[in-house]
Amino acid sequence: MSNWTSHLGFDRFSGLYIWGIFILVFGLLQPSLFFSTSTLYSVAANKAVLALVALAILVPLVTGVYDLAVGATVNFVTITVVLLIKAEVNMWLSIVIGILCGSVIGFVNGFVVVKLRVNSFIATLGMASVIAATQVIITSNQQPLPPTMAEWPKLTQTKVFGFQIVFIYMLVIAFILWWFLTYTPAGRYMFAIGSSPDAARLTGIKVDYYTWLSLVLSGTIAGFAGVLYGSLTGPSLSFGGGLLLPAFAAVFLGSTQIRPGRFNVWGTILAIYVLATGVRGLQLMTDVQWLDQMFSGLALIGAVAVAVGRQRSADERKRKAMNAASIGGLSEKTLDKVANYDEHPHIAGESRLHLAEDDR
Amino acid sequence: MVQGEVHALLGENGSGKSTLIKILSGYHRPDPGSIVRIGDEELSFGNSSLSYAVGARFVHQDLGLVEAASILDNLAYGPGFPTRAGTIRTTTARLLAQQALERVDLHVDPETLVEALSPAQKTGVGVARALLSNDDVPVRILVLDEPTARLPEQEVNKLLDIVKTVAHEGIAVLYVSHRLDEIFEIAHNVTVLRDGQKVITRPVEGLTRDELLHHLLGSELEKTHRDSSKVQSTENPILRVSGIGNEVLNDVSFDVRPGEIVGIAGISGSGREALCGTIFGGRKRDVGEVFVADSVLTAGRPDLAIAAGVAYVPAERKLHGAFMDLSATENISISNLRDLWRGLAIRLKLERRMGQTWFDKLGVKPAQASAQMMSSFSGGNQQKIVFGKWFQRQPLLFLLDEPTQGVDVGAKAELHRTLFTAAENGASIVMSSGDVDELVSTCDRVLILRSGRIVAELSGKDLTPYAMSRAALGIEDSSNEGSVL
Repeated sequence: MSNWTSHLGFDRFSGLYIWGIFILVFGLLQPSLFFSTSTLYSVAANKAVLALVALAILVPLVTGVYDLAVGATVNFVTITVVLLIKAEVNMWLSIVIGILCGSVIGFVNGFVVVKLRVNSFIATLGMASVIAATQVIITSNQQPLPPTMAEWPKLTQTKVFGFQIVFIYMLVIAFILWWFLTYTPAGRYMFAIGSSPDAARLTGIKVDYYTWLSLVLSGTIAGFAGVLYGSLTGPSLSFGGGLLLPAFAAVFLGSTQIRPGRFNVWGTILAIYVLATGVRGLQLMTDVQWLDQMFSGLALIGAVAVAVGRQRSADERKRKAMNAASIGGLSEKTLDKVANYDEHPHIAGESRLHLAEDDR
Repeated sequence: MVQGEVHALLGENGSGKSTLIKILSGYHRPDPGSIVRIGDEELSFGNSSLSYAVGARFVHQDLGLVEAASILDNLAYGPGFPTRAGTIRTTTARLLAQQALERVDLHVDPETLVEALSPAQKTGVGVARALLSNDDVPVRILVLDEPTARLPEQEVNKLLDIVKTVAHEGIAVLYVSHRLDEIFEIAHNVTVLRDGQKVITRPVEGLTRDELLHHLLGSELEKTHRDSSKVQSTENPILRVSGIGNEVLNDVSFDVRPGEIVGIAGISGSGREALCGTIFGGRKRDVGEVFVADSVLTAGRPDLAIAAGVAYVPAERKLHGAFMDLSATENISISNLRDLWRGLAIRLKLERRMGQTWFDKLGVKPAQASAQMMSSFSGGNQQKIVFGKWFQRQPLLFLLDEPTQGVDVGAKAELHRTLFTAAENGASIVMSSGDVDELVSTCDRVLILRSGRIVAELSGKDLTPYAMSRAALGIEDSSNEGSVL
């Protein structure tokens, strides 16, 4: 059983297969609607902002910190930029200020988490509320109209190979983040902190600094997402909160893909588009309103259950190996043999060795 | 053992004390043919409820009390609260708790939170809880596993009083401890274990400390140790520790020269476990100074210590020493990423090669598994990987806490060899270990800590397990030049 599944990379690329099945099934059921290029382009663009929010969550999660304020941050930045433009501030300057707002929010989150030692879950939950309140103060709770200037929607809606350019922006940021997390010392340090903050400190890693940095990065990426949303869809007082859960679902679902057991950029992006394809396909067949929410919720719970299950079965394998070794008195030899099972993809389901090599 | 007897169980680490206790408590199953009788009943093995049913009770080193709850609550967690129609009967519960506390001669309000108690009082609550029984099973034997290991000196007597009270009631007490003083004070009989075998059982009366020590350590008192002639006593020290202190250490000073391996010995609670971490900066240092190759180490800054050329291997590998869910290669490269950084990226090929190099040099098994998760390796191999990380940096000074804890015999010898090589290449090594034999066979000299102070220094011919244990336990001896408190 595990023989052929691992040959097909099922443990790492199950998302791709599910994606394929979605496309096949919905393609057969709704060929004219589902297989139109407009479906492709609209899904790509619509989910680009969500993908960015997921990436914003990903960075602190790698460091072992939750950022629940991203939704509020995105919303706040959108409103801020739109208000600035309508106040006739230069568009580019407004954009820069908007993104900086995101960074500052991340910086404050970092201060609360690192300096005041407030649990990140609580700290960012509280900050989300504070940001939402601030938004009410500056808008008087009246939704601003979108700016009338032509350049503003063009920023994200210009077509490149048929795709709205916002999709390309998202891919570029994802690429940079992937490089940062995989190929720079800072990224490695963040993974180490996420694995064990104590061990990281004793290895000479500046735990506080990188934890703080991860929250600033999170805020900054959320800032980008806010600007792009404003240009793509227009200002809204409340859309941000709705992005939080699907983004978390994507990050956790993504951690079961590409590099199982680890939060990773491409797994997250894959998860977003697999879910989006499934939802869009079903929406073409029925017109119920609850699909998106239902899918995100189930995906979040399912992904975490899968990750926990994997960890438990790995622990169990190791425990049995240790037992076999100590009972037989064969210690090292037996252990090696059992441990070696993991090296041969035709024996074991999960193979980190091959996985790491394929990453090049 | 008879009713009311306090029987001490002694033995070095790994002599089989804990295994014996675990057999009694039903955690381990001994080989067939073994028989344990408690009262008139034969104990069926491998089931903790059966141990309970014949009247055996246990107080482990980790008491398992809920700190934030009251004594009353803690006492009721096991047998359950007395209730009427699902509601706790407060007065009855209070009364029961008070009785339980009086049984161990502890006079505190049962409503007191456990966290507000002194360490000895907490152990007392642990004993009181063990003696509680909600049915008709009489308590016949109470097993105390190193109850004083974490108690400060002044608290020990209070605990011994509790033990006496319990024994007075007619309960047999099996008392496990490293502290010889206590045994002479409360035990009627003593049994010594070594390498899983009983060495002797005899009355404490008429026994001297030296005799007891001989039984403990066996005949192999003289062990070959490392040839220390290569150490250049004229060279400037690499490590200079001057008067450092914190909550467990008190005015500790010593030097370590290049190529020297210095051991740190002492019973648990003596400050031995804290010394390396304090020098490194992983633990708080309140006073004193540390110099490494003439640069001052800032207190509480591991990153600066590493930059100054220090490597630190903590005792708790899983919590502090390694990243269990990162790959072995990543565990090695994490402190060495600058070497792998070329033109805007960490070169993964170089990284793999770095990992594989240390796998080969240190003989990590499985040899081809350097990309596997750290948690998939056995303890000995994990420790080799941790060493690989530090060797790659070529540090001037190694600070090692229990470097071969949980490591099998073969891997232990290999780790020692690599340390010798590092020392020959001029590195200084400070090694804290609870394994006396390990210190004798690897160290040039050994510093013995007691109550946070260095009380003796042994080297050359004087460096024997016997002398070390004497100094660590504080046994007076006119021929011993080390000052004894």
